Amino acid sequence: MITFGKGNLRVPKWSKRVFMVAGGCTPFRKYFPEYKLEELVMIAYKMMLEDNALKLSPKEIKDSIQYCAYGEFADHFQDQLLCEAKIHDYLGLEPMWNNGIKTGGATGGAAVLNGAMAIASGYANCVLVAGWERMDEVDTRTGNFYIATAACKDFETRMGRIYSSYYAPMANRFAEQYNLSEVTRAKIAVKNRGYAVSNPNAQQPGRHTVEEVLASRMSAYPLRFLECCAMTAGAASVLLCDEEMAYKLSDTPCELFMAGGTHTLRVADRRPMEIPLLPNEEPGQYDKLLAESGRWPGFESFLAARFAAYMAYRMAGIKDPLEELDLVELHDAFTISDIQTYGDIGLRPYGQEPDYIESGDAYFGGKCPSNLSGGLLGTMHAVGATGIWQAAEVLWQVQGKYDHFHGLDRWWKRAGKQKPADYENLQVPNAKQGLWISHAGVGSHVTCGILRKAW
Amino acid sequence: MAQPFEGPLSTEYIGTPLDLFDDEKAWVVKWPRSMEHHHTYGMLTPFFKGLTEGKLLATKCVNPKCPHKSTWLPPRADCPDCYARTEWVQVPSEGKIYAYTMLDYTGIGIEMKAPYWQIDVEIKGVDTIFKGFLLRGKPVTGLPVKAMFRTKNPTHTILDICWVPKED
Repeated sequence: MITFGKGNLRVPKWSKRVFMVAGGCTPFRKYFPEYKLEELVMIAYKMMLEDNALKLSPKEIKDSIQYCAYGEFADHFQDQLLCEAKIHDYLGLEPMWNNGIKTGGATGGAAVLNGAMAIASGYANCVLVAGWERMDEVDTRTGNFYIATAACKDFETRMGRIYSSYYAPMANRFAEQYNLSEVTRAKIAVKNRGYAVSNPNAQQPGRHTVEEVLASRMSAYPLRFLECCAMTAGAASVLLCDEEMAYKLSDTPCELFMAGGTHTLRVADRRPMEIPLLPNEEPGQYDKLLAESGRWPGFESFLAARFAAYMAYRMAGIKDPLEELDLVELHDAFTISDIQTYGDIGLRPYGQEPDYIESGDAYFGGKCPSNLSGGLLGTMHAVGATGIWQAAEVLWQVQGKYDHFHGLDRWWKRAGKQKPADYENLQVPNAKQGLWISHAGVGSHVTCGILRKAW
Repeated sequence: MAQPFEGPLSTEYIGTPLDLFDDEKAWVVKWPRSMEHHHTYGMLTPFFKGLTEGKLLATKCVNPKCPHKSTWLPPRADCPDCYARTEWVQVPSEGKIYAYTMLDYTGIGIEMKAPYWQIDVEIKGVDTIFKGFLLRGKPVTGLPVKAMFRTKNPTHTILDICWVPKED
């Protein structure tokens, strides 16, 4: 049984409070030949500057930025090293310092965390976080192989060359251990793709049925195509500030609490560990479950997500996530990874994850709806942008701007689409606090961010 | 001292013009990429060599001061708990299925004919779980399996080991 060092469990304490004031993104598509990569990032950046009711002009904000954190998943996809320099130059932000951040699927979250550290340390008081991915230069199977190089090249990549095959064994194991039916998994795909219908930027919106999901083509058993996110071209950005700058720029800033966790790249290398308990869990609560499953996190759960939530809840003073969070945006790259995360972040105790869906808590109008943005399944996974775009979606919910950013005709026009007749305003009434999870590998890196209304 | 070439030059284009897809909105060009890497197995070389000799080798931390003294498969040369150098041990080439999946749609360059079963194997005395593929049969969680090795015409990759049901 692996235990954790006392010092390793110290809760992060930032020297200065951190705030998020604005977000922007491009429409998300499979194929985006109209724009070069830097042009896509400019679209997201300008939306952030111009459309978030900021109290300074775009030029004044540009003149206030001192640091940039840039997220990009894979040089393979861009076929360009040092993209950060090209983007930074294109945005006209020299000579301010930038860092390129790479942590697989959690790259976007990691970029936000990196930007937050720059604010918290006092290095900067106004930080641009931007991320991108252009996964449309190669065909889907080549893209699948590129992504699978984020598994261990010596011991895993050759075993499938597609990432769904590294999650699928977890899905089978989870189903057997925790009594998860395929129908519950399929409901997540139906839910998130359905919410994507109201997102003008969504790549894969659709009103599907459980039957359609289960009848869709098999990727790696038991995961079907409709249970897997797609590859996307697009970009996203958010603006972080210290307290003084946040209120100078915005009447509706949100305070940010954020931490990250990590675990082995190879799932196989996970040894049995103690479970770091969330504030709403009791010592001994999992003794029976551990006796039955034999090991934690096994293939059922993610230490990295648990560790990130363990820290972030303590930073934010959250005792009961389901009661205190008004919405969450989870990393639903696959239906199974979405479900696994419910236990890791305490929306349900371990072993009872499917109930978060079956109870209705996860739906709009439920106790703590998830992925009203459409998530990765319905809207996008332009990897380096994903965790940044999720943050923007949570920010807009807490600011009460869901309808502004999803319902206005101008966004539908920008995306080259007609606003659908069945558009729903998915604004959570009186949302005060939301969480987002950015997740990499088969749980190698996970960030947990919480945005809280601060006005 | 080396000097710049000073003779007569006639500079020629010797590349291959790119195929053009003239989309209505933008030009898109087909940009071929092809490369080879010389990848080392480093200190794990005995593991891959072992497969070609029909042996399943793991590494074990034998440092008496190590809090865990884990046995690693995949092997690692350095113990992450105490940073001691690990030692090679041969482990049983049999185990039980812990999890599995069937590969259907695969990424480009796959070397196995799909569909096929990928399995994760628990091995007695090993602290980790080992990923492989099932040569024949149908996986069930807990099913005993034994390893087979590609000792003839080895691939020199992890694909030199596979598994079959033990009662086969």
